[in-house]
Amino acid sequence: MTLFRRLLLVEWSGLAVAILLGALALSVIAPNFLTEFNLYVMLRSLSVGLLVAFAQMVTLGVGQMNIAVGALGGLTAIIFGATIELYGFPLLLAIPLALAIGALGGLINGLLTARTGVNAFIITLATASAFTGINFGITGSIPFYKMPASLVAFGDHHLGAMPYLLVAPLIVAFLLGLFFSRAAPGRELLAFGGNPQAAELSGISRERVVVSAHVLSGLLAAAAAVLAVAQLGSAQPTIGADWLLLSFAAPIIGGAALTGGHISVLGTLFAVLLLGLIQNGMVLAKVDPYWVQFVLGALILAAVGLNRWRAVNSGVA
Amino acid sequence: MTDEAMSEMSARRRFGLGGVPAQFGLAIIIAAFWAVFAWRAPGFLSPFNLFSVGRALAVDIVIGFAQMAALATGGMNLSVGSIGVCAVMTGGYLMQTLALPVPVAIFGALGLGAALGWLNGFVIARSGVSAFIITLASANLYSGAMLILTKAVPLNSLPMEVGAFGKMKIAGLVSPLLVIALAVGLVLFVFYRHSVLGRQILAAGANARAAKMSGVPVDRVITISHALSGLLAATAGMMVVAHLGAAMPAVGGEDWLLPSFLGPVLGGTPLSGGAVAVAGTMLGALLVTTIRSGLLVLQIGNYWLQLYLGVILLLAVLVDRYRALYQERRGIPMR
Amino acid sequence: MGLALEAVSKSFPGVKALDGVSLDLKAGEIHALMGENGAGKSTLIKIVTGLIRPDSGRVLLDGRAVQFGSPRDALSEGVSAVHQERNLIPRFSVGENILLERLPTRNGLVDYGAVAREARRYLELLDPGIDARAKVLSLSVAQMQIVEIAKALSSEAKILLLDEPTASITEHETAALFKLLRKLRDDGVAIVFVSHKLEEVFAIADRITVLRDGKNVASGAPMEDMTRQTLVSLMIGRPERVAEIAERQVDPSRVVLEARGLSTTRGHKNITFALRHGEILGLYGLVGAGRSELAHAILGDARISGGELLIRGEPARIRDVHDASTRFRMGYVSEDRKQEGLILMHSITRNVAVTIWRRLANVIGLINPRAESRAVAPFIKRLDVRTPSLGQLVGNLSGGNQQKVSIAKWLAAQSEILIIDEPTVGIDIKTKTYLHELIGEIACEGAAILLISSDMAEMITLADRILVMHGFRLVGEVANDHQYETTSRAIIGYIHAVGDVTPAPAG
Repeated sequence: MTLFRRLLLVEWSGLAVAILLGALALSVIAPNFLTEFNLYVMLRSLSVGLLVAFAQMVTLGVGQMNIAVGALGGLTAIIFGATIELYGFPLLLAIPLALAIGALGGLINGLLTARTGVNAFIITLATASAFTGINFGITGSIPFYKMPASLVAFGDHHLGAMPYLLVAPLIVAFLLGLFFSRAAPGRELLAFGGNPQAAELSGISRERVVVSAHVLSGLLAAAAAVLAVAQLGSAQPTIGADWLLLSFAAPIIGGAALTGGHISVLGTLFAVLLLGLIQNGMVLAKVDPYWVQFVLGALILAAVGLNRWRAVNSGVA
Repeated sequence: MTDEAMSEMSARRRFGLGGVPAQFGLAIIIAAFWAVFAWRAPGFLSPFNLFSVGRALAVDIVIGFAQMAALATGGMNLSVGSIGVCAVMTGGYLMQTLALPVPVAIFGALGLGAALGWLNGFVIARSGVSAFIITLASANLYSGAMLILTKAVPLNSLPMEVGAFGKMKIAGLVSPLLVIALAVGLVLFVFYRHSVLGRQILAAGANARAAKMSGVPVDRVITISHALSGLLAATAGMMVVAHLGAAMPAVGGEDWLLPSFLGPVLGGTPLSGGAVAVAGTMLGALLVTTIRSGLLVLQIGNYWLQLYLGVILLLAVLVDRYRALYQERRGIPMR
Repeated sequence: MGLALEAVSKSFPGVKALDGVSLDLKAGEIHALMGENGAGKSTLIKIVTGLIRPDSGRVLLDGRAVQFGSPRDALSEGVSAVHQERNLIPRFSVGENILLERLPTRNGLVDYGAVAREARRYLELLDPGIDARAKVLSLSVAQMQIVEIAKALSSEAKILLLDEPTASITEHETAALFKLLRKLRDDGVAIVFVSHKLEEVFAIADRITVLRDGKNVASGAPMEDMTRQTLVSLMIGRPERVAEIAERQVDPSRVVLEARGLSTTRGHKNITFALRHGEILGLYGLVGAGRSELAHAILGDARISGGELLIRGEPARIRDVHDASTRFRMGYVSEDRKQEGLILMHSITRNVAVTIWRRLANVIGLINPRAESRAVAPFIKRLDVRTPSLGQLVGNLSGGNQQKVSIAKWLAAQSEILIIDEPTVGIDIKTKTYLHELIGEIACEGAAILLISSDMAEMITLADRILVMHGFRLVGEVANDHQYETTSRAIIGYIHAVGDVTPAPAG
């Protein structure tokens, strides 16, 4: 097999190439692209999206879907804002609390799914509605604007082109990568996703796996929400409203199998990066912003097509 | 068998041929809500409210049908909203910009919907990639293309009869849109229960491999199902145009995603395919519209609506699941 | 360590699966468990492996009463099992699958080097050719089964349960497995061996327990005291009756299906044979020989890359099964009835009528459900399918009845060329005999049948001629004199001839 073919067989290679080519093209077309400021803006815009993608990736890993990703994010953002603005919580308390709320939401999703046997798609469809309802019911659609200066500053600061905001998601990416490739509990999650019956027969507890996956998903959604508040400088109830389709797009482009048991942290990371690159490029090249959606759709098809080709050609289809 | 597979089996068991029991429960719940709302808010049963509810219900029903047509094959159609808005803008464009007669414009819009749906089905059948992913992609492609072409400019100067149709009242309280929705339901019911194609679709949805090896032209059947889904989405789009009296690019899109599932899911259509519940989908949409309207009339926070909807969906699904389990444990044979 | 089940009973809605059943498994023995499908074997297995709990009775481990709440409990008590269906994680490596329950770790992280080393220890006992780092997805069916057996071995269980372990593996691997099992037995392991293959049971087992209709008909009987007749009559409750197939005169000139030098994308090369009107042409081969793949290619489900296929004398390009069925009146009874042959969640009527919907439709394409049922009823009656109603979901039927439904749809379609693939796998003996007679009847009525089977006795009972396939090639043809000894020897001879090519001596 030629080197070219072998390279193509590596899962995220297509994405890496696309990113390199895209970056190359952009640096030629738009002189502003390689400036520190622009790179900072682009990387900053990835931060929230990365965690949102991971939140869905985790549930895809066990072969399920979390439709409540955005709704939970929005609810957590609001509660986060409320604890700070209305109850004067310090960040050191408010942030863990927000994460705990996210985990709690995930726990509800996980327990309902595991205990009732109803499809997670439907369960999270329902809880998404419920979470959004609570969100808007509490706030009456009014955001919390008085976020602590330190938080807002954190959302703005950067070291060279690297925004502080991106550090946490990158650390999370590293930890998730380690978790799913080298940690026994992570392998158990993927084993269950790959073949639930076989996993159960090997003594892996279905309930524990499903609940852990959803709790982790909720936790990541909450983390994304906190970052979103930092990025925006205020806690908006609309946070999370546009997360859902994107949360699927990135892991899928990154090579996740919808049926479960196969996810790629690196692939998801590259997918988010590529999407950010495209968006940035469009702004720089002054392309009609309406092209973004179109390109996203084309990207999903291309990625899936490549994966399919790859599966067929490595003899595992 | 895992619990999930079993619950799907239970869901399926009820619908070998279009189960009645689940819908009966749903009808009772709906009746109960109506009773409560009518008692607490006399305005609920006013001709005006009934008319608005009926009109909104009509659109929700057809959106639900669009998703149901895809679910029948065991896949989802995430592009329901996108196809809807493409049809809306195409219809508007034909009517207003090209000044074509309204029926021609409607025909064109429906044709586009069917074509976009057909494209979905074609790619799904040929590539073997799941409908979820293909329609996730096509939703973005279609919406994106629409936005690029229309620059998100709404078309407000449609022929008068369009808006008039939307405002028309039969017997003072029924919207012709509702009649259309019910007629579509009737056609679908006959289609899935009595036609060869309907049976082939359900066979392909239940077990594509077995259907194929039994001589069912599975690829063709899946393509047709998605074309049907697109056609229904376009129909819903046209109904919205009549309702609004204008063609707006803000219609549809992700907004339709949740409603498109609520009707079928509440009505008992299994997500894994192989069966449809036409009456159930209508009842499911009715339940949702009832609650939305009731809360509005009772002036309970509009915002809390979502919470109630979510909880009710959960309860309905759980009750249903336990009912099926109970029947299984008792060894009561199901239809 | 010994395992004993005392007076165990288990009921499910509508059926009493086990009624006061006992099993006495001693350390250091190979104990066969046999019984027809529906006899209660799988329920018994699920109780032993901790998947379900008995309603009454006791499970004793070395005389100590135990309660398995989950497979994990059974595993921790030293009970390990290889089940009928594959239970492997497709995208994990062989090693990881083998050690899934107890992945070796170093500093809290999985130690993949140790995984591979450990796994290799057990793989080598069975098939050193399997790479511990390979993904299970890339293995053949036979290799997957070997991996599962290695997995059971790796748990160093004192009680090992094997459910149809040789279903998908070759003779060579079976021999290696048996050698291994004997060694384990000698080391004191208690082994439960569940199999339909009588020859294997006679070859390997020390004692045998037989179930019928949820009760014991033999409990721990020594194998020396068993004969084939006794065993079969214990299983079915009466002496075995061999199917009576009427003699047919096959006109050799009426060729309905002919293959000339066919090759397929699946790997077949130079397949040439002719199938005649009213003939039962057998296609015998071991698992993995390529027979079902050939059937799929003929039907248009896999691609023919060379050679010619003639239907009724005319060259035919069959695009898919729909084509095969509507244009050429072909039918296919699949070997995998649950996944490919039937739609479990639909009713009997729907499953049978699927081939005749077009015919049942009126002018505007609508079907009257009552007309559908009426059209289906005669076939259900003819096949003696036991069911309270035609609306019964096929998933609720017994294996034998399911297979009958799977055949019924082709009878309804009036297929003239019928490819029947492993018709009686996992079917109770009574239904087996019935199906054999049915196949004979269908041939008498003029259908041309290509019968694929790896059951020698079945093949010799039914076929007029037998083609032998091995390694995706046709390696011989045997005229069937219906005498087991001679014909089976001829067939096996052809298969071994391929493998036993000795190089010409030098000089």
